[in-house]
Amino acid sequence: MASKSKKAVALLLTAMTAATALAGCGGSESSGPSISVAQSSFELEVIDFKSDETVKYIKDTMAAEAKDGRIVLKVWTSGDDKSFEESRLEEFKKLFADSRYEIKIGTSEKGEDKAGSAVLENPKKAADVFSFADDQLSSLAKAGAIASVAPYYEGNVRQENTDDSLGVSTIGTDLMAFPKTSDNGYFLYYDKRVFTDESVLDNMDEMIKVANAAGKNVYLNLGGPWYSTGFFFTAGCEIKYENGKQTAKIANEKGLSAAKAMCHIAENQDKGFKGAPGAIGDNAYVAQGFDEGFLAAAVIGTWCGPAIKTSIGKDNVGAAKLPKVLMDGEYKQLESFGGYKLLGVSVYSEYPFSAQTLAYFLANEDSQLERYNVRGLLPTNKKLAEDATIKTDPAFKALEDQKPFAHAQGESVGTVYWGSGIGDVGGKAVDQKGSRTDAELMEQLQGVEANMKA
Amino acid sequence: MNNTKAAKNSEMQTGYAAKRRLTNIIVYVILTVMVLIWIFPIVWLILQSFNTVDRISSRMLPEGFTLDHYKTLFTDDNVPYGKWILNTFIVAVLSCVISTLFILMVSYTLSRLRFKSRKKLLNIGLILGMFPGFMSMAATYSIMEIFHLEGQLLALVIVYSAGAGLGYQVAKGFFDTIPRSLDEAARIDGATSNRIFWVIILPLSKPIIVYTALTTFLGPWADYIFVSYFMKDSTDNYTVAVGLYKLLDNEHINRYFTTFCAGAVLIAIPITILFVVMQRFYVAGVTGGAVKG
Amino acid sequence: MDYLDYVQMTKGQRFIYKLKSFFIGIPKAIANFFKAIGLFIKKFFVGIGNFFKNYGSRFAKGDAGTKLSYIIMGAGNMLHGQIIKGLIFLAAEVGYIIFMITFGAHYISRIYTSQLVLLDSKPDTYTGFYKFGTGAVGKEVAIVQKTIHGESVTNAATADDSNKILLFFILTVIVTVAFIALYIANTKSAYATQQIRAEGKKPMNFVEELKTFLDDRFHITLLTLPVLLLIVFNVLPIIFTICMAFTNYDEDHQSPIKLYQWVGFKNFADVFYADAKKSSTFGLILVWTLIWAFFATFSNYIVGIIVALMINKKGIKFKAFWRTMFVLTAAVPQFVTLLVMRLLLDDKSGAINSALGTSFPFLTEWANVTVIIVNMWIGIPYTMLITSGLLMNIPEDLYESARIDGANAFQQFTKITFPYIFFVTTPYLITTFVGNINNFNVIFFLTGGGPEDPTKYSNGAGKTDLLVTWLYKLTVDKSNFKLAAVIGILVFIICAVGSLITFNMSKASKNEEEFS
Repeated sequence: MASKSKKAVALLLTAMTAATALAGCGGSESSGPSISVAQSSFELEVIDFKSDETVKYIKDTMAAEAKDGRIVLKVWTSGDDKSFEESRLEEFKKLFADSRYEIKIGTSEKGEDKAGSAVLENPKKAADVFSFADDQLSSLAKAGAIASVAPYYEGNVRQENTDDSLGVSTIGTDLMAFPKTSDNGYFLYYDKRVFTDESVLDNMDEMIKVANAAGKNVYLNLGGPWYSTGFFFTAGCEIKYENGKQTAKIANEKGLSAAKAMCHIAENQDKGFKGAPGAIGDNAYVAQGFDEGFLAAAVIGTWCGPAIKTSIGKDNVGAAKLPKVLMDGEYKQLESFGGYKLLGVSVYSEYPFSAQTLAYFLANEDSQLERYNVRGLLPTNKKLAEDATIKTDPAFKALEDQKPFAHAQGESVGTVYWGSGIGDVGGKAVDQKGSRTDAELMEQLQGVEANMKA
Repeated sequence: MNNTKAAKNSEMQTGYAAKRRLTNIIVYVILTVMVLIWIFPIVWLILQSFNTVDRISSRMLPEGFTLDHYKTLFTDDNVPYGKWILNTFIVAVLSCVISTLFILMVSYTLSRLRFKSRKKLLNIGLILGMFPGFMSMAATYSIMEIFHLEGQLLALVIVYSAGAGLGYQVAKGFFDTIPRSLDEAARIDGATSNRIFWVIILPLSKPIIVYTALTTFLGPWADYIFVSYFMKDSTDNYTVAVGLYKLLDNEHINRYFTTFCAGAVLIAIPITILFVVMQRFYVAGVTGGAVKG
Repeated sequence: MDYLDYVQMTKGQRFIYKLKSFFIGIPKAIANFFKAIGLFIKKFFVGIGNFFKNYGSRFAKGDAGTKLSYIIMGAGNMLHGQIIKGLIFLAAEVGYIIFMITFGAHYISRIYTSQLVLLDSKPDTYTGFYKFGTGAVGKEVAIVQKTIHGESVTNAATADDSNKILLFFILTVIVTVAFIALYIANTKSAYATQQIRAEGKKPMNFVEELKTFLDDRFHITLLTLPVLLLIVFNVLPIIFTICMAFTNYDEDHQSPIKLYQWVGFKNFADVFYADAKKSSTFGLILVWTLIWAFFATFSNYIVGIIVALMINKKGIKFKAFWRTMFVLTAAVPQFVTLLVMRLLLDDKSGAINSALGTSFPFLTEWANVTVIIVNMWIGIPYTMLITSGLLMNIPEDLYESARIDGANAFQQFTKITFPYIFFVTTPYLITTFVGNINNFNVIFFLTGGGPEDPTKYSNGAGKTDLLVTWLYKLTVDKSNFKLAAVIGILVFIICAVGSLITFNMSKASKNEEEFS
């Protein structure tokens, strides 16, 4: 407790500096943002929810924050996770229950892929705590719609999570979000009954042959930019997103190789290969495919795991890293995006400390373990990553094997990338079953690259 | 001579009849084909609502028969169908009553009362009507925020009925057709405009009242845009259209596609009955207004 | 052609004559449109001149009471014996002054100067919040601070908001306009009561005046509430949106992190020439919108008439059955049928392609054709319903005389049926055309504006996007409110000009009709 009071004094000093600075600003005509508040210089501490003292301290703070004895929070989570997250929210309420206030938490369904844009559509109406995919962090931070992790929890978050997951949660030097799961990437799910020989799984062309022989198909969404970008990485194209600037050098020999590799695979469309899901989207298509039996393997993520398991039986589901693809006459390992799902706190929360506490609670070790047990979602927590059961999970293993070939989304692509039409390179390849000339491909690549500059 | 002509005539007659029978057969064939095309999506929807799988199927025919999805509508917490219906019903009834009243008031005034700024109002109405409906959606939302109405059913009622004043054309066209001599006779008897409106005009306006009430009542059942924009994540206040639409999201379509079909079929039944029964009012309303010009 | 020639024509000839004059009238109608604009402007300024003339002359001719009411509202009425009415005027003046002092002046003063900047890029220790301060000009940003553990915490939710400033500014302007109208009414009323007094009569008392609201001024009674709601929830948002078109309000300028500001005509310049990608996108979408509106309107119209003719043909049985079958599809909510269509027609996973074993790109390569065809599916039942009624109105003797003249079925259709229906439904066609320019549902639910082609289109637009669906995307998906506002204004201008011209034309041909 002693250290806590020291901390409070330091804070008070900071606040006073800020107040003087504010007073100095009033009335001056030309000043703009000229004031810089002295940064608090205390060391980040690690707190423990299991310590009574900490819980009491948090409760005191929440009590000070409560309005009319109520703390009202809203949480956005994906539809699939909703009931699980609700069970965690009950735990949160139990842990911090207090006579001075009542905690009310509402949940709404908002997919992690859309949460970022939903926040930006009207930041003031955003949920206090929202779950989102890491690539949206930069635009959220740019608009100032996301609050950075409160220093009170920053020490814990930094200590508990893997370096990679912290890296994607950081803008500059500020930790802006709480890492939640590490599985926002894709790998190969396959039907063990069809692919009895595991060596086939290392080669896309072989896989397609085997699948075709069984009257089934391999699915890889070439028309989806998130999946097809792997080909450009494989070809060695420079795709970078730094300081809000998108670089994507694809209108060159390397980009052409990537496009031709896609065309080569797309030649097998409907003959052992399926390259686009159509209007119903990846998830529904994969579920449909395994259920109706026209898919034998699919490049997709953990979120489709449960559906595939119920379709073909838990024991028949295998997972592996992505196969090699034919590019420039040789088989190269297909690269990919690897990513994280993060929890963010809205800048506009009326109960900022409580929201930060809730976000940390949902991202801590206990919650991540439960989330893995119930939902099969993979943790970012260092300790859990070493856990024996998780380590041997096929999906976890597949993602680990793919990791050397996976690129972080936040560092590679921004919003402008998704809207550039890069997905159409693969999309057209599928539509025309791979029969495209080099000139056509080059023209398209040039168009796409030009879009990135806009 | 005469005989041959008569014979020729009857020959022509039978030829004519044969030709007529042939064209009728062609018409029957065309109509049958068209009707099949027209009802095909609806039949597919109904069949899918009884399908045994939860997800969307790529097959034309269902894989089995079950009523489970209809049960899901009323038992699954993720699909609060009853709540959606109730919400929609509340909004539909309230906005129907208010809008109908407003439309009758405005159209009666603009049709039968003569006052200085009448022409000006008609023109302003015409101009306002030409702004695309949801151009000012974001702005209206900001206004709702100031009244703290965003995410509430009342906001929808207001949105639907506030614009009602602009929907006067059809009803005005109807009022224009009621002979003015009726008013004049009543006026000679000392009736005020107020009395004429309630006692003479309104009782004569049953078809147009029914038409207006019908269209304003049906509006909220099919509206997606305003509801989704104004309710955002206030899932408790979703109407049927938005609730059902969300079932086709990436993350729901796997589990709830056939439930969506069941929900759509259930909602379509009462609306279809209403519409079929009321179609003559609809025709009277549209042509009455449109043909007048 | 003079009247005699006209009456000598048969009915059929008259229709054709009218049809001809309708099309011949197009250039004239356009010319008339511009003439009308000129006339309107002239009338407007003459009106303003007259207004000041009358305003001045009333003051000159007024007695002390009337003159006093130019400063103290209601004074004239009170001095001339209408105490309550005078007090109401006075209350309105006092109310307005209070409103302006406590509310209006604040927002008027802020409309151009409000600005807010981040004080510090390091967030607050406990909450992660940024601190805010005032920028170059603003002096009074309301930051509510709370104290938690001895530290003051800033809550951004209570800070400044561009939307609010702009909205309340517009509201203040509207209230001011209403007040000016009331003020003028006050001077008129004062002068009117003065004249009544001069004639030696007694002006109406308050109760008598109230009674006029049920008779002579019944229109005010009936219109007040609808118009009031219309102003608050329709006119105010429209003005607000128009203002947005002149600001930089978008995803990156959301209050209170970054307030938006006036940028003049920059957004319009972008759409027309300054930003090549935006202007070509706008051009492409505009052209497709017009193509769509044309085909969507006339395909429904012509096929709808044919279906109605087939159902109503002599000798066809079960008329009610056929009609009901079509009406059925019109009755099912559109979003349901359209979503079903989208799933059925999909080239990769749709049931139709699966059943046929093909992958025909209905909704990608052929999307523009598909949407028009599906729109026929949606629209034909309506046209069929409407024209069925009209067909029965066509006088039977017209057909009889045509048959005697040896006209076959096709000729009867082109010479009698079609001209009749076309002429009667011209206004309906105009409204349908304008409606199709703004036809949101079919495109939104069927293709979502796709397939997207970012090499040709900017801001998320696609090949089947109409201006309105683009507007929707800009508002909801892109939070690009400034561009959405610009598009909204342009759609309005297109619809307004288009319908005014056609409206004038049909009015011109209506005048001809008065011959018969």
